[in-house]
Amino acid sequence: MRGAAVVVGVGESTYYKRGGATESEFQLACTAIRRAVADAGLTMADVDGFTSYMDRNEPVRLSAALGVGDLNFTAQTFGGGGNGAAAAVTLADAAISAGYAETIVVFRALAQGQFHRYGQAGRPRRTRGAGAFTAPYGMLSAAQTCAMQTMRYMHEHGVTQDSLAEIVLTCFEHAQRNPRAIRYGTPLTREEYHASRWIAEPFHLYDCCPENDGAAAIVVTTAERARDCAKAPVSIVAGAHGLEHRGGVAAFSYPGFPTAYHRHVGEQLWARAGVGPQDVQVAQFYENFTGPVLMAIAEMGFCEPGELNDFVADGNIRWPNGRLPINTAGGNLGEGYIHGFGNVVEAVRQVRGESTCQVENVELSLSVSGPGYAPGSAVLFGRG
Amino acid sequence: MSVLPEDWALPAPTAITEAWFTSRTIAVQTCAECGSRQHPPEELCHRCGAMSFTYPALSPNGTLHSYTVAHYAVNRALAPHVPYAVVLVSLDDAPELRVIGNMPGVPIEDIRIGMPVVAIWEEHHADDASVVHLPQWQPR
Ligand SMILES: [Zn+2]
Repeated sequence: MRGAAVVVGVGESTYYKRGGATESEFQLACTAIRRAVADAGLTMADVDGFTSYMDRNEPVRLSAALGVGDLNFTAQTFGGGGNGAAAAVTLADAAISAGYAETIVVFRALAQGQFHRYGQAGRPRRTRGAGAFTAPYGMLSAAQTCAMQTMRYMHEHGVTQDSLAEIVLTCFEHAQRNPRAIRYGTPLTREEYHASRWIAEPFHLYDCCPENDGAAAIVVTTAERARDCAKAPVSIVAGAHGLEHRGGVAAFSYPGFPTAYHRHVGEQLWARAGVGPQDVQVAQFYENFTGPVLMAIAEMGFCEPGELNDFVADGNIRWPNGRLPINTAGGNLGEGYIHGFGNVVEAVRQVRGESTCQVENVELSLSVSGPGYAPGSAVLFGRG
Repeated sequence: MSVLPEDWALPAPTAITEAWFTSRTIAVQTCAECGSRQHPPEELCHRCGAMSFTYPALSPNGTLHSYTVAHYAVNRALAPHVPYAVVLVSLDDAPELRVIGNMPGVPIEDIRIGMPVVAIWEEHHADDASVVHLPQWQPR
């Protein structure tokens, strides 16, 4: 499909452990956006739109504070969770390709110190809707939701605990080369992984994304405008965001259970891009928890579920020698949990040749968002 | 007997969930127009879009489809109760329909995917004096 839009800038705030930020969430957002616009070689006055997902930082407030010019487009995705990260890029692509805006900042800011912690839940009293079928049984967290899916998936497909570990160890290893990463300088061994406490079986502590404070942003504009920018543009080859009929109904009463909600996304993405998983050199898979990463690898078409143990073993997903290095900046687990937007930024960096675990000759770079929560999304970047 | 605090969250039954939470049967929402069954109840039939339903009782037998054991208490009130298991049961009369629950009194190490289970009902009295019968599961 390859629309009219390209990525011309990336930026992040400092990433902090939860509560470690000296700035507010809004200030973190503004810092990341300023850095992304500066990286693009543009000014704030050039920006005329914002897209995001589940974000508290309103474009009206942002544009006033940042000195943005006339605002022409704003949008967020429906639905919960980091499943909107790649989708927010497709919103910008769609708006720019259709001419509603020229230069859109896609961003996500998250301060779990300032606001509520994703790993904790309030005390429900009387529950209605879908929550009436989960909360009374003590099923309250994303960890439990993804654990329920992963436990069945491991049972059906023989996926091992060591394959879950492989996702964590890969992320932590890659984070050792990334000075921006929260886990930079603190590697993890397989023994430490297996010895760590349970959170929600089959997830150990390290299977779960951390709670962090930070913000990340990219700048999307037209191919024409990109000629004035500081660096070579990165094209948005294709994006996908959606679900098959009844794919995500409450309490897991759908035929495809267990799923990471990426079967339909994968089909759509490859059909739109006119390429397949075998054409991709590097991929970022959003890690809320390790299990959904494995499920998404299979659902995006990289292997069959029964082949996952081999697909991730023996360094196959690790930089520099793996056949598909994943989460090359350290991912949510190792670099920092900015609700998965770091995985979008890193996918762009891989095309630019700016990763701290740079894969050689990257033509196509994939970012897959939010497995385990419906609907999923994914975006494929390529050379401009 | 409950695996959670006595005063833990209860459902607030609505028009479409009242049968499930008060009848002490596996009262599965069934479309009055096309006969399609769905769970949890929804305001429209997923198959034909109709808005009227019956709630006939299916067999209380099921098969344990998946589970997770919570070791981390996401709310402080749960801290004295971890670890506890949450199970997902496939109904034997309608295996595509799944029900979340606990297995009160059953040791966690006895819980296995594939085990045959049967529904029981816990009686809870809410603050407003209404009574909720919460389906739970036991080995059979
Ligand atoms: Zn119907």
